[in-house]
Amino acid sequence: MKWWTSKVNDPTGSIAGNSSFEETFQKSIILTNMESMVAWGRKNSIWPFNFGLSCCYVEMATSITSKYDSARFGAEVIRGSPREADMMIIAGTVFIKMAPVIKRLYEQMMAPRWVISMGSCANSGGMYDIYSVVQGVDKFMPVDVYVPGCPPRPDAFLEGILLLREQVGKEKRPLNWVIGPQGIIKPQGPSMKETKRSERMKMTEISEPDRV
Amino acid sequence: MTDIGTILTTRFPGTVITVQETKDEFQTLWINADHIVNILRFLKMALELPFKMLYDLTAIDEQARIHREGQPDSRFTIVYMLLSFERNAFLRLKVPLTAANPTISSITGLWPAANWYEREVFDLFGVTFLDHPHLKRILMPETWVGHPLQKCHPARATEMTPYRLPENKQEIEQDSMQFKPEDWGLDKMTGDDELLFLNLGPQHPGTHGILRLVVQLDGEDIVNVVPDIGFHHRGAEKMGERQSWHSYIPYTDRVEYLGGVMNNLPYLMAVEKLADIEVPDRAKVIRIMLSELFRISSHLVWYGTFAQDLGMMTPVFLTFNDREKVLDIVAAICGARMHPNWFRIGGVAQDLPIGWEDGIRAFIGYFPKRLKEYDNLVMKNSIFKARTIGIGIYSTEEAIEWGITGPGLRATGLEWDFRKKQPYSGYEQFDFDVPTGQNGDCYDRAKVRVEEMRQSLHIIDQCLHHMPAGAYKSDNPLTTPPVKARTLEDIETLIHHFLTVSWGPVIPPGEAFCGVEATKGNNGYYLISDGNTVSYRTRIRTPSFPHIQFVPAISIGYTIPDLMAILGSTDYVLSDVDR
Repeated sequence: MKWWTSKVNDPTGSIAGNSSFEETFQKSIILTNMESMVAWGRKNSIWPFNFGLSCCYVEMATSITSKYDSARFGAEVIRGSPREADMMIIAGTVFIKMAPVIKRLYEQMMAPRWVISMGSCANSGGMYDIYSVVQGVDKFMPVDVYVPGCPPRPDAFLEGILLLREQVGKEKRPLNWVIGPQGIIKPQGPSMKETKRSERMKMTEISEPDRV
Repeated sequence: MTDIGTILTTRFPGTVITVQETKDEFQTLWINADHIVNILRFLKMALELPFKMLYDLTAIDEQARIHREGQPDSRFTIVYMLLSFERNAFLRLKVPLTAANPTISSITGLWPAANWYEREVFDLFGVTFLDHPHLKRILMPETWVGHPLQKCHPARATEMTPYRLPENKQEIEQDSMQFKPEDWGLDKMTGDDELLFLNLGPQHPGTHGILRLVVQLDGEDIVNVVPDIGFHHRGAEKMGERQSWHSYIPYTDRVEYLGGVMNNLPYLMAVEKLADIEVPDRAKVIRIMLSELFRISSHLVWYGTFAQDLGMMTPVFLTFNDREKVLDIVAAICGARMHPNWFRIGGVAQDLPIGWEDGIRAFIGYFPKRLKEYDNLVMKNSIFKARTIGIGIYSTEEAIEWGITGPGLRATGLEWDFRKKQPYSGYEQFDFDVPTGQNGDCYDRAKVRVEEMRQSLHIIDQCLHHMPAGAYKSDNPLTTPPVKARTLEDIETLIHHFLTVSWGPVIPPGEAFCGVEATKGNNGYYLISDGNTVSYRTRIRTPSFPHIQFVPAISIGYTIPDLMAILGSTDYVLSDVDR
């Protein structure tokens, strides 16, 4: 599909393009199925749950503020109640005392719901291999996207949201009874380590640490 | 001034077992368990220039310790640390307990602040305090078996059974967290009216982290508040017993996660005291400069979120943008934003990069105007004033009684800043004021922090203009391995290099405490070395722990919106409460 933008004071109708029948047709009609359209809507307005555990939460909150601005990706409607949210970000260390509470909050979210595990602690326990910490939130609930870092920079967290958006857009979630296997088919998440390897291998010149 | 040991031996003959030499400048006395309450009462009430503050109360599990020369026999040692403002001195009292399941009298009757400290010792060490009003676990879940800081308890999660959370366990855990007013001696009725128990947290946007408060309400009025902490317990103290002296530094960053490298400072200064390491001047000034940058960054997070707690949406976006500017400078110098882990034993990780001045100079020019703008936006805002003036008031006496330090103490009018009173790392060379308040309410606490940002900026400005030349780390062999090139010339150097980088330094046996004026209050590390590559006991005295304990006392009689203002003005971080 082709898109144009017009200036504020332009007279209506004066837009670029050749005004052919084909073009007009393309601009006003979308051919899709209901399922894909709902998925498109979902991926562009994910409502995060205002939930934080430790240090990572500060960086997650920073990603909402103006320099990083998660609103650009449709994920700025922060909800204080799990019942109104679609996405739970496990931002921080998963403590054994907190785990039952985290699970209860996750269960209170209505489907469709997604989980981002933010930071090393939530991914695997990270540097806290200690008696009071669960070694990764995926020990007791499903995770859709893992964001590495301790804590991840707000930009890294935003990349996690972008990856989740992609996943959500591709997810098969039948709206009614269908022929064949029922249920949700989630796409296989890409390994960013593999995806970015060739690009990273090209980095041979790294800036010196003794210069700003 | 007569020495405390002499006063106590003349006044209470036979109670002082011995005097212990430590590597810090505080007097350490071993006291007989039967007399500890009387002696503490004397030190608090009757002594000329008394020790009014119970600064810390903790324990040591002595069962695996080798170097205990001259110390009385003990299985668990209870450590009381007192602070006298009149004397400007700390005093450490130790009580030996020899039983495997020891008991000792509670001092909650003497200091209400002892309540949580004793519960913590009970929870983590298994020491029972007689006559304690609520001797329950505080950091670990009620369902936990064992006492984590005992030497026989496993440290690693991977040494224990892997964590699972099946349906039935979920039910049991949830049930154990159910609040039962009877357990706390709280009434469900007042006269004919039923009281409401409101559960706030551990997931609530107003609690700034995973803190749980159960609020007993009569209509809108708060009758009582019962905090429930421990949801953020990361075992930072146990961690110190297995990480080498150097590799523990990143964990200190995360103890008060808004303070960044400022957390490294008390830990490292305690290690340096233990090993008699001299830090070069340049390293000292670099440390001060980065600590003050983090003070500004932390206060900016507080400023924005506090305003947001009171219903203002705009300030948080503005202050977070300014925090970005501070963190950009931090990242340019240290290479990371929140947890740079950049200080080292005897100095810092590397010299300041070429061009470090530019970012700081630009920030010094930019920031004062912004602070003025925030004054107009927040501090002079009539709604903000109405929500904070006269709310959550406490006096200097109450603050001292409950162990309050930092801006919360200064807001009551007491000019007490450890950077001035017990200067460390070269703060005595700097010119800065200690802002104080008069009323000890939420507004004054805010006012003190705002002014502190200006003072921090003034300190950074002095660092910028007077940065000493010279080494950025000490050449003590305990801090720095030999030069790599020389290891290829003789075997001795190679061995030393290998040991220093693989095992890390062996710090001589001893005990030392060091505290700093951190962003939230006084943050201190009490380290015990047993002549090993790891610490024998790492005690972290954090300011937020007593501050949260104090919240119920200053919230009674107010309403829920006031409670939000009180919590916001307390400025705590949950990792600083639970460690």
